[in-house]
Amino acid sequence: MSTAEAASTAAPLPGWVIPTAKTLGIITAIAALIIALVSSGIAPKGSWANKILAAPFVEMWELPDLLVQTLWEGTVAGILYALIALGFVLIFKASGVFNFAQGIMVVFAGLTLVGLYEFFGRQGFSGTPAAYVALILTLAVMALLAIGIERIVLRPLVNQPDIILFMATFGLTYFLIGFGETIFGGSPKIMIADQLGLPKGAVDLAILGGRVTLQKIDIAAAVIAIVMIIVLAVFFQKTRIGRALRAVADSHKAALSVGISLNQIWIIVWFAAGVVALVTGIMWGARSDVSFALETVALKALPVLILGGFTSVPGAIIGGLIIGIGEKIGEFYWGPLLGGAIESWLAYVIALGFLVFRPQGLFGDKIIERI
Amino acid sequence: MGRQLNLVVRADVGGDTFGKLLAENARIRGSRPAMRFKDNGIWVSWTWSEVNEEARGLAAGLQALGLKRGDKIAIVGGNRPKLYWSMMAAQILGAIPVPVYSDAIADELAYVLDNAEVTFAAVQDQEQVDKIISVSEQVPKLQTMIYDFDRGLEDYDHSKLHHIDAIIAAGKASLGDAKASAALDAEIATGKGSDISIILYTSGTTGRSKGVMLTASGCINAAIDTVTFDKLTDQDSVLAYLPLAWVGDHYLNYAQALVAGFCVACPESAETAQADMKEIGPSFYFAPPRVFENLLTRVMIRMEDAGALKRSMFHHFIGVAKQWGEKILNGESVPLSAKLSYGLGNLLVYGPLKNALGFSNIRVAYTAGEAIGPELFSFYRSLGLNLKQLYGQTEAFLYVTAQPDGQIRSDTVGPATPNVEIRIDDITGEVLYKSPGQFVGYYKAPEKTAETMTQDGFVKTGDAGFFDATGHLRIIDRAKDVGKLKDGALFAPKYIENKLKFYPNIKEVVAFGQDQDFASVFINIDIIAVGNWAERNNVSYGGYQELAGLPQVYDIIAAHVEETNRTLAAEPMMAGGQIGRFLILHKELDADDGELTRTQKVRRGFIAERYQPLVDALYSGKTEQHIATEVTFEDGRKGTIAATVKIRDAKTYPAVVVANAMGAMGKAA
Amino acid sequence: MSEPLLSVNNVSLRFGGVRAISDVSFDVVKGEIRAIIGPNGAGKTSMLNCINGFYHPQEGAITFKGVKRPRVKPHEAAVGGIARTFQNVALFKGMTTLDNIMVGRTLKMHSSFFWHLFRKGPAMNEEIEHRRKVEEIIDFLEIEHIRKTPVGKLPYGLQKRVELGRALAMEPDLLLLDEPMAGMNLEEKEDMCRFILDVNKTYGTTIALIEHDMGVVMDLSDRVVVLEYGRKIADGTPDVVKADQNVIDAYLGVAH
Repeated sequence: MSTAEAASTAAPLPGWVIPTAKTLGIITAIAALIIALVSSGIAPKGSWANKILAAPFVEMWELPDLLVQTLWEGTVAGILYALIALGFVLIFKASGVFNFAQGIMVVFAGLTLVGLYEFFGRQGFSGTPAAYVALILTLAVMALLAIGIERIVLRPLVNQPDIILFMATFGLTYFLIGFGETIFGGSPKIMIADQLGLPKGAVDLAILGGRVTLQKIDIAAAVIAIVMIIVLAVFFQKTRIGRALRAVADSHKAALSVGISLNQIWIIVWFAAGVVALVTGIMWGARSDVSFALETVALKALPVLILGGFTSVPGAIIGGLIIGIGEKIGEFYWGPLLGGAIESWLAYVIALGFLVFRPQGLFGDKIIERI
Repeated sequence: MGRQLNLVVRADVGGDTFGKLLAENARIRGSRPAMRFKDNGIWVSWTWSEVNEEARGLAAGLQALGLKRGDKIAIVGGNRPKLYWSMMAAQILGAIPVPVYSDAIADELAYVLDNAEVTFAAVQDQEQVDKIISVSEQVPKLQTMIYDFDRGLEDYDHSKLHHIDAIIAAGKASLGDAKASAALDAEIATGKGSDISIILYTSGTTGRSKGVMLTASGCINAAIDTVTFDKLTDQDSVLAYLPLAWVGDHYLNYAQALVAGFCVACPESAETAQADMKEIGPSFYFAPPRVFENLLTRVMIRMEDAGALKRSMFHHFIGVAKQWGEKILNGESVPLSAKLSYGLGNLLVYGPLKNALGFSNIRVAYTAGEAIGPELFSFYRSLGLNLKQLYGQTEAFLYVTAQPDGQIRSDTVGPATPNVEIRIDDITGEVLYKSPGQFVGYYKAPEKTAETMTQDGFVKTGDAGFFDATGHLRIIDRAKDVGKLKDGALFAPKYIENKLKFYPNIKEVVAFGQDQDFASVFINIDIIAVGNWAERNNVSYGGYQELAGLPQVYDIIAAHVEETNRTLAAEPMMAGGQIGRFLILHKELDADDGELTRTQKVRRGFIAERYQPLVDALYSGKTEQHIATEVTFEDGRKGTIAATVKIRDAKTYPAVVVANAMGAMGKAA
Repeated sequence: MSEPLLSVNNVSLRFGGVRAISDVSFDVVKGEIRAIIGPNGAGKTSMLNCINGFYHPQEGAITFKGVKRPRVKPHEAAVGGIARTFQNVALFKGMTTLDNIMVGRTLKMHSSFFWHLFRKGPAMNEEIEHRRKVEEIIDFLEIEHIRKTPVGKLPYGLQKRVELGRALAMEPDLLLLDEPMAGMNLEEKEDMCRFILDVNKTYGTTIALIEHDMGVVMDLSDRVVVLEYGRKIADGTPDVVKADQNVIDAYLGVAH
């Protein structure tokens, strides 16, 4: 007698194809409208209508290499936004806590890594080995932080209203800022990208009749982020702990009754969020430097979450990319019209624009419940 | 004496009994898969040699328990391999399997078991064991029971009750002895084509069911004809989900499998058949129209809930399929743009849809049993599913007519299948036939057999029909049901019922009108379709009864009835028989209450009697009528459902001139 | 009589000033089906919550397998061998039937996280082993057809069955069922009764259940304890309890 697993059959169209197609439709409609406007003479060259509605697209069309460059930069920024948002989503899913401190955890992780490396340097231990020892120790610190948060903040506050826990993460934010400044000082630090073996310099690509410059560190950031997202996805979908995490995210009561320890899950989730923060800190730090100013960048995760939904991992990723790319395109093509520096608020406008069409966010949970 | 029965197998398939065929299959394609069964979530399969070994083991085991040539063994349960093996084992020994509907209530079961004088029974599980034990006094001849699934049976008295596994194991052990094995071979060789191979009880629209006796060579010859007709080979596969006791299962999934050597997959349970279908992807499929209808309803509901783009994409490509699909399937020439458009549709819609329904690999699909709605029929064909119609009955061992590839229409059932002879009675218009699989008589009922046969050996189908210009048979209705209204206009109840049943909102219809002023109907709404409508429109309801009584629902149904009248008005023969009044029945017609047959056909006479006050009210002009009905719950207890049923008038139309009528009929013309 | 698996001794539970349970004692013997019944608000669910650690009684002690457990946590109770279902069904609604029951196996899985991540070696074998167990339960409860359906989409009766399946997957020593038949139609109730009896017989699982439907309780259970307003008013075999004047008063006599 022989046995055989049932052959799995091809899945139907994945859900995201449809929204994407819908978006494409809207874009096409807008493009048609613009062409109509310009060609019909309603918006002559030099008019405001032309500057806003036509000129940027003409520029995109005529200088495609610049467009590619902008898209690339947007993508890299988007990936980093996505990583931060991912940290929020992990914690929100598993414990229902909106972790305001996620941004500061990025800074704290970065500072710890650099600080430990500098400490080793003062002991005469430096170079790549020291960087990796510092990295491992930083992971340990993030684990300790997760345990500490669970013990000191979450456990005593369990069953309190969400707003209390949210406030607690505010407290955590200011604690981490104060604690970090005390230990590492307030001045910006240089990320030890070289020592960690991250590439530097740039690759120049000649495409579309122009030249596009890709920073190697950006490429590395993209690759590492993708790897990490895949690992997290496998972890969530295929492992015992991942299944337990999803269970906790779904129903605390039920998870408890089958013997899942919430405390343990919370530690794991906060640690995972810590690891994500560390990676984000390294990548972001390598592009600029490590300082508490990064925290405001971390707040960019908010529009990403609005866009992607608070509970969806793919939402965080796609949302991050949309915000990152939208922001860069906006800044580059429309920014000058408004005197520049629209990057700081454009993300929120994009997010709000999306909210009009999909109040639950791009990937927000559609509630499938029978009443 | 009637027609000479053909007792010789015409083609060389390796024997004239199923016992011999099984051995032959094991010999020539021993390592090909013969059966699959999903057990504990995993598909388990057996090759022909393995099935042969299991069936021989079971035969030896049953023989040791006393089963011998000519004995009857009841088979009660779902499509499980071990029950199929029980049939094989019986036929190896020359005993006669008598499959019984597994959802038969104890009473029906007792009647069949007693009438067939079964001494053995092979049953699925505790439920069936309990049912048989509960009627054991009425079946004194039944001595031994074997069961497949042992849960709950541990504490039963096992003196006359055995686990199939134990019997197979014991039988296999005894066959280890070469002499015993040779004796069994000799037993198989003793079997003759003229032996009774199986007795199938027909559900019958009237009276008690009758045991149809079929010979081994008749069964095999009939199967050879259709296997050739549809070019079935051992590369084909089916999912066996039809009731074991129905001729369709025994023919399509048993006889054809043994003749062609293809693989039969058994679903995990009746509820999972749809999902299993998708996993197995059979190449040959049969389903009654109602199954196709349910599938379509489900697809449509899914689409209503889908996003706007998906929905418009679906409707667009279904439109394309409607226009070109059947032409492409029939091999007619179509413009290139149509081909391209259809190809894209196949990629985006038809392919994924067929995959979801488990139809991806189907080469030949049949439907029969009821008239199929032209829209419904075209829908599946336009997707590229080679769906055809056949006409048959148990007494013929299924096939009387079937549509050959390329000659498919929704309103005929095709020409006679090979070696079948058909005649239409001059006076009554009844369809008469002679077929290779034709029965030898009803068990213990020669007078009934005689009633069914003509002087010259044709079998009466009881259906009225005629051959159209293309030589295809068209069935109108049961011969005895075609009647007349008071004014002499033709009243064909089934014809009216079928027309109405093609609306997704309508599940069942019963038409009345014999010797009355006009035709009128009882309607059962389709709870899924109408319930879905209610959900979308925020109409709340507590259950079938409440939903059926809603005025808005009456409005919907009234529109359907009037549309039907309009099409009837366009048909010269039928224009006089339009529906004057209708009502929506307060309960769903149910086989447990005797309102439907086990094959889900309405029992018009019984219903008329049971709901006499309602029928009277239809013709007395009342606008509502109170009725209380006794019902049987699934556990056998009885209760009463009472309701006040509203009655409405329906608009009728003057008969339309013929020229227009043909236009309105569309493709039917 | 054999050693009790669980004994509840003089347990009292208060929420602020409200007494939910007052000085209740009873025991559950290995292998029996024990019912806890009483009118609404009698403290039945609170009692279950005390047993599996959702609540901690202020007074009295609960002894399980001969060990007193002060302030046991729910997941510790689960580790100890107590599984339960909930009155209003607590399932992982976004997950499939299969995954829900798989989660019930969490405590039985031990292979390391590392192997799990790569779906190799011991983790894969373990996964297959547990999947087989889960399939047995699916077969037992006759829910093959909804194996891959997200449970949020299932009708209530089936959700209850999946929940029972998840509890069974834990292979508990003591199974707590909180109104397993609430909101079901007659046929579903009969099915559920059959499953409960089969679980008790086939796996020898000790069962403590709360139920509203008196008829069902009397048919199903070996012994019944009756609560009213947080106090125990009767305890014994169904026949004894049925004849008890206090019980008759609580259920029939006094109109509330």
